[in-house]
Amino acid sequence: MSDVRKEFTKGLIKDNPVLRLALGLCPALAVSATVFDALGMGISVIFVLTMSNLIVSLMRKAVPPKIRIPIFIVVIATFVTIVEMVMAAYQPGLYQSLGIFVPLIVVNCVILARSEAFASKNSPFISIIDALGMGVGFTFALTMIATVREILGNGTWLGFTVAPSDFQPVLLMMLAPGAFITMGLILAWFNWMDDQKEKHLKATFMLDEKEAK
Amino acid sequence: MLIVRLGLILMFITAIASGTLALLNQHTSPIILEYKLKQQEEARQEVMRSQGGVKFEKVNSEEIGEFYKAYDEADNLVGYVSIAYGKGYSSTIETVAGYTTDFEVAGLKVTFQQETPGLGTKAVEVKKGDRKPWFLMQFEGKDATNLAVVQDRGNIDSITGATITSRAIAVSVKATAKEIKQAVEAMEKANDTQMDTEAAALEMNGEVTP
Repeated sequence: MSDVRKEFTKGLIKDNPVLRLALGLCPALAVSATVFDALGMGISVIFVLTMSNLIVSLMRKAVPPKIRIPIFIVVIATFVTIVEMVMAAYQPGLYQSLGIFVPLIVVNCVILARSEAFASKNSPFISIIDALGMGVGFTFALTMIATVREILGNGTWLGFTVAPSDFQPVLLMMLAPGAFITMGLILAWFNWMDDQKEKHLKATFMLDEKEAK
Repeated sequence: MLIVRLGLILMFITAIASGTLALLNQHTSPIILEYKLKQQEEARQEVMRSQGGVKFEKVNSEEIGEFYKAYDEADNLVGYVSIAYGKGYSSTIETVAGYTTDFEVAGLKVTFQQETPGLGTKAVEVKKGDRKPWFLMQFEGKDATNLAVVQDRGNIDSITGATITSRAIAVSVKATAKEIKQAVEAMEKANDTQMDTEAAALEMNGEVTP
């Protein structure tokens, strides 16, 4: 059971695909202008990631290593197209606002990386857990960036006005540079937290050693 | 031999994938089409609301494709509706445009765009308290054959940070208006000459009514 929890939670913070592994940066920059888009993108990625991890894991013994990459891409592309068609039919508003970034999930390296590094070596169940953790971590990172950008750039959060009425939106935050700046600062913050943790660990370790002496 | 085996495996997998997608597409494509048609009908109603246009008659013109004539409850011609396609920043913007009989803009509605979220998408954003996007509202009542954004010394305020989107809409609506105007004028002319020849023919038969 602890294994399951470990595989799930590692995607949230410790191995967060965007903030720690620096994977899937393209959608994280492009679809993080509003929280609504970020959540839509996140949910699509969770679905594609879970399904492709499951299929890749089921096929892992049958897939010849030489052609594993094209096979993974076909599996991923199939699920992305499913998402695209279902979204266009039942959620046309979201489909329009995510636009080109839905088909681009195919080349989101988070998904290929999880297929290659995890699902092709692990059992279906644990692969799904890994996909859910990574997917939620990806959504979390996107939502975090989008929260900063939408509030500063538009004075709203998830479409609700949160800024005072005389607030002047910072247009820059809506544009690509805003995405880079926000992501840079969040990455720095995560690294700083990591440093602090390490320092803390080291300090306790040294203390332990002293006491042992 | 190995290559053939690998190729066959790959073919097998892609065949399954395309089969699945074909099945799903059969299911979703009618829904997508239906939604699109419904949206277009709603858009036609919406852009002609200011003129009281409720009935639409499709006109197929050889030169410019199809457009719609709009009639009010009493079957009076109140204007024309057409779809304008403009190349925006990251997509082709599809605008349903309504024109009065004098080719003023009666109303606009963007039915498809994939512009930059937060910038180009402002073209369809409705301000609090408004019913329609402010960007499109400013077109209403303006001469449709003479539209341009301020950057092009025109009369349309463009969206901050989305000049290309703004320009695409203004230019495409203007171009479509010009096309329809020409087509309508040509049709009227043809009708007139047809009537003239009919009248002449009747005259020859000595059946002309005073």
